Amino acid sequence: MSVLRPFKASDMFKFNNINLDIWTETYGIGFYLSYLSRWPDLCCVQEAPTGRMMGYVLGKAEGSNAEWHGHVTALTVAPEYRRLSLARRMMALLEMVSDEIYKGFFVDLFVRCTNTVAIDMYEGLGYSVYRRVREYYGSLGIGKGGRDEEDAFDMRKPLSRDPNRRSVRPNGREMIVSAHDV
Amino acid sequence: MSTAALDRQIRPIYDALDTGSNKSAIVACNKLLKKHPKNELVKALKALALVRSQKVEESLVLCDEVLEEKPTSDAVLTAMMHVLRGLGRHNDMVTMFEEAYKQQPTNEELGVQTFFANVRANHWKSAQQIATRMHKQFQEDRYLYWSVISSVLQAKDASTPKTMRTILYKLAHRMITSSPTPPYLNADRFHLHLSILSELELFDEARKLLDSEVGRNICATSLSCNEVRRELWKRQGLVREEGERAEKLIKEKGDRNWLEFLAVLDATFDCLVISPTDVAPTTLEDAKKECATRVQETRVLFTRVAEEDGSKDRSGLLALLELEKRARDHGVSEEPTRLVDLMERYFNEIGDKVCCFEDLKPYTLLGSDEHCRWIAFLERVPSMFSSIDGLRRFINAYKFLRHSLTSSEITADTESARVALYAKKYMEALPLGSDLPTTELQPADDLVLLAGNTFISLWKLTEDDNNLFKAASLLEFALTKSKQSFLVRLMLIRVYRLLGAPSLALEHYRAMHVKQVQHDTLSHLILSRASTFSLAAMGDLTLATECLESTQIYLSNSQETGDFVVRAFTGEKYSQIPQFILFEDRLENSLQRDTVKVEHLRMRLTHEPITSDIIDMELIELKFIFDRTHHDNRDFDILPSYQPRISPNLNELTLLLGRPEGHGWLSTFLQVYIRAFQQSSDLDDTVEEKLLIGDRPKQTADYDRHLSLRERLCEQNEEYLKTLTSDELAFVHYARALADWLEPYHDYTRPPPAAVLAEAAKQTELKTGHPLKGIDIPPNGASHGQKKDEEPPAVRDPPELVVKHFEKLKMRFEEVQSKSPVDVLHVATLAQEAYLLFIIESLRFKPASVVKVNKLGGLVSSFKCIRTGAISVLKEISSELIKRADFEGTSEGPKCFIGLEELDPDFVLGLSKKVIDARKKVFEGVGKGLGRITATYAS
Ligand SMILES: CC(C)(COP(=O)(O)OP(=O)(O)OC[C@H]1O[C@@H](n2cnc3c(N)ncnc32)[C@H](O)[C@@H]1OP(=O)(O)O)[C@@H](O)C(=O)NCCC(=O)NCCS
Repeated sequence: MSVLRPFKASDMFKFNNINLDIWTETYGIGFYLSYLSRWPDLCCVQEAPTGRMMGYVLGKAEGSNAEWHGHVTALTVAPEYRRLSLARRMMALLEMVSDEIYKGFFVDLFVRCTNTVAIDMYEGLGYSVYRRVREYYGSLGIGKGGRDEEDAFDMRKPLSRDPNRRSVRPNGREMIVSAHDV
Repeated sequence: MSTAALDRQIRPIYDALDTGSNKSAIVACNKLLKKHPKNELVKALKALALVRSQKVEESLVLCDEVLEEKPTSDAVLTAMMHVLRGLGRHNDMVTMFEEAYKQQPTNEELGVQTFFANVRANHWKSAQQIATRMHKQFQEDRYLYWSVISSVLQAKDASTPKTMRTILYKLAHRMITSSPTPPYLNADRFHLHLSILSELELFDEARKLLDSEVGRNICATSLSCNEVRRELWKRQGLVREEGERAEKLIKEKGDRNWLEFLAVLDATFDCLVISPTDVAPTTLEDAKKECATRVQETRVLFTRVAEEDGSKDRSGLLALLELEKRARDHGVSEEPTRLVDLMERYFNEIGDKVCCFEDLKPYTLLGSDEHCRWIAFLERVPSMFSSIDGLRRFINAYKFLRHSLTSSEITADTESARVALYAKKYMEALPLGSDLPTTELQPADDLVLLAGNTFISLWKLTEDDNNLFKAASLLEFALTKSKQSFLVRLMLIRVYRLLGAPSLALEHYRAMHVKQVQHDTLSHLILSRASTFSLAAMGDLTLATECLESTQIYLSNSQETGDFVVRAFTGEKYSQIPQFILFEDRLENSLQRDTVKVEHLRMRLTHEPITSDIIDMELIELKFIFDRTHHDNRDFDILPSYQPRISPNLNELTLLLGRPEGHGWLSTFLQVYIRAFQQSSDLDDTVEEKLLIGDRPKQTADYDRHLSLRERLCEQNEEYLKTLTSDELAFVHYARALADWLEPYHDYTRPPPAAVLAEAAKQTELKTGHPLKGIDIPPNGASHGQKKDEEPPAVRDPPELVVKHFEKLKMRFEEVQSKSPVDVLHVATLAQEAYLLFIIESLRFKPASVVKVNKLGGLVSSFKCIRTGAISVLKEISSELIKRADFEGTSEGPKCFIGLEELDPDFVLGLSKKVIDARKKVFEGVGKGLGRITATYAS
């Protein structure tokens, strides 16, 4: 039970219960405003009836030709609201808008190779690893995690414009690229 | 030289500017200016380099020169745009672009820039006119929309009179309907069109748009358009239609947005929403009958949803609860046990989720039988847990049980028993999470938070600080198990501040990595009334620096947010523009921003020499702040409060000194300081106007415009004063008495504005080599010691409130010795502040010549008495504090803290030492700082 609504600039005053969690980064205000000033329809919030924020997703549309796609930049749910299908719902919205409004071929995202919860979830939602990106992230600064902590999986899910699933491949985990190739 | 050659020489200047080498940029400009003294671009670039090296006065001279030339070249305009933004002169920027556009009316890019300059300055009316003109000339659709949204923004602007609003919306409507292209070309245009129709209540027209195929599609994919649609239907009273639409979505599309459930609920009870005056009782009965049928139908729908979704989605179950609650409120519920049945069912299905507590909280106000049943149900939840799900259920049950305690159940004994139970259960539950990676939160954390809440409640009941210490020790232990728990840290921050151990609070605050906009919402945790703990007087600037760091975000806001407003225009994201402007305003006029400003000022005055420079600068800034309407963006909900419903929440319980800081506090301290600075300063309004560099910020404060500033400064708002601590109140009364007493002497002695301006002009000329623009120096250069026609005001004895203040403080200081360290520090730092205020107020009368010319010898001799008395009190307080620092932790000192039995004694001892050291540090620092101040301002 949650309200799904657009992300608004002033939600930045309310997102502490989500952003104080270590998996979620707080960026400069320009980061959020740049998403909202270009892809407001790919940014949404889940809110409890009390008005408390539960989670949000920020996305964008990018790429050219057959690489034109929707991208999930940040997806996060506050610890106390996890496992309530909130992420699933927000991903569904983002995929729907990427498909129907932007007419992208696929949706993609990056996720730390150590973030097994998220990787499992994305796989459950139909995403698969397209490639592994070396040193995409900085260290979380919480001890050992090593390469897996800093490397990212680039995961993708084809949309209706890619019925032949050309945008994905089966052996993505073995395809390794460096961060400046993406 | 050819232009190409000149271009080649200008390029390095840009490079230097880009890399931040402003010095070398200035050197390069000077070289070029020798050969091309009239070159506008080089002048503009030099002005830019000067602004960026804080050489504002010099930059101003060049800036004005370039502006006088009315530049039109793109490069010059761009450079000047940065200069003017750096100087905060948005109005000049508007003029500059308007002049350029006037000269080249066919230059579309100039038109766009002129429009944006107006946007940045929030000049919506001119923006609208420019956009209209551009639309006529360049025939681009988007200019029409720019003009439309400019009217809407003008209507929304706080400074626009209410009566104008409808007219502006009508104008916007006329323009938007004149568009040759249909509104649904993109969602944001559609959104803009709909919001105007909604505002003007043009429902039929809106309906036409919404019922079209495209309109329906847009609403199905755009949350923001759908939001306006909802609003429109609500305004039109289409509650039932909305309900039917929502029902379809829930049934057919599996939509689980709670807004749809609310729509169905509203529709269910719509037949009862009739004004009771025009309805005869029989029809009311009929309405109730109808409603009861509808409730039945809705129940069927929700029950089906609940059964379909199971524990996967809680919407159906919660909707059933809400339905029953509303049915009861409307007197159409026929099943007295249903609500508790549903609550139990909800708990059974969702009890293993953390949010169960928050979800059910609104339904827990029950009649006594139901209450007993609910409590009995909760008490049956097994307290043996073998799984994380079981543990969560158990925790939820505990939270509800605590939440529903009655006042007779909250005593020191019962709370002690509870806290022991929570701690015990916590230890038992810990192993369940022992395999989780260190990045995960521990499922047992909530038990510690419950215990922490209870210790704090015990502390309130017993006033025994040891309860705070016990809370700290358990919470610190929990952090070793759950390294990422920010909720535990938040509670620790509050606890350590109450214990008088601010450095430990700061450690935890830093560990939370608060950044960017979070500074605005969270810095209150560490900075509210922070001058109580400030060691700035003895040179330790930790907290003062924390103040400055937390204010970086406001700079980013003023530098960046405007750019994104412009970007939203360029990208035609009209739905975002009003929101960005609102966001910018909330940050710009943030209550926390200015509260920190005042807190920082209080620290600054203990650290920097008090001179007329500081006073003048702060005066101007504080006056701007005083004219603002403040927005309170502080986040208090983040504190994990698990207190009984009838008790104050965690935030209220743990406020430093027991008082909230807010509009009242800020306004009162602003009054004190502005009044003192204004008396002490030579700047009057006319002088200030001349010396001001940037635009004057908008006055947004809501006050009676007939009042003079002086009247506003002297106003006493009882509500505001109630939010102060008794010691702050005494300080405010003292400050007022002091200012009232000295006002006539200040007014008499202050040099006339012309003399002040002449002096300022002289200083500027010495500094920059250029005279100050627009100021004529009177030939005989009026000086401070000038003779006056009037006699000086008769010297009066200082008022009782001033004379006795420090003596009273001494007594008060003795009184609080038995209280918390925070109270002791509060009295000590306010004594220091009172003395510094006296220094500010008496600064003008320091030079012997001033005293002599103005015949104020009598006044000055009464200063001497006050000063001697104050210094002796301050010295005594200082040495008491230092003594107390030595005393902390010795065997005669306050007993060592006692931790919990469950914890390792060494762990507890270590923590106890840390707390004592932190207290020692602040006692000693404040004590020595006071000593320093008495030495600095000894005479
Ligand atoms: C990843 C994250 C967004 C998931 O959010 P969520 O709202 O809890 O996810 P959902 O409830 O929608 O879960 C959807 C499915 O993902 C899987 N899943 C999610 N969290 C899981 C967990 N902790 N363990 C196992 N499976 C999990 C499940 O299959 C779940 O379906 P189910 O509940 O029906 O079994 C959330 O854990 C989070 O915010 N993490 C921190 C930020 C982050 O890592 N973001 C991703 C970076 S790219």
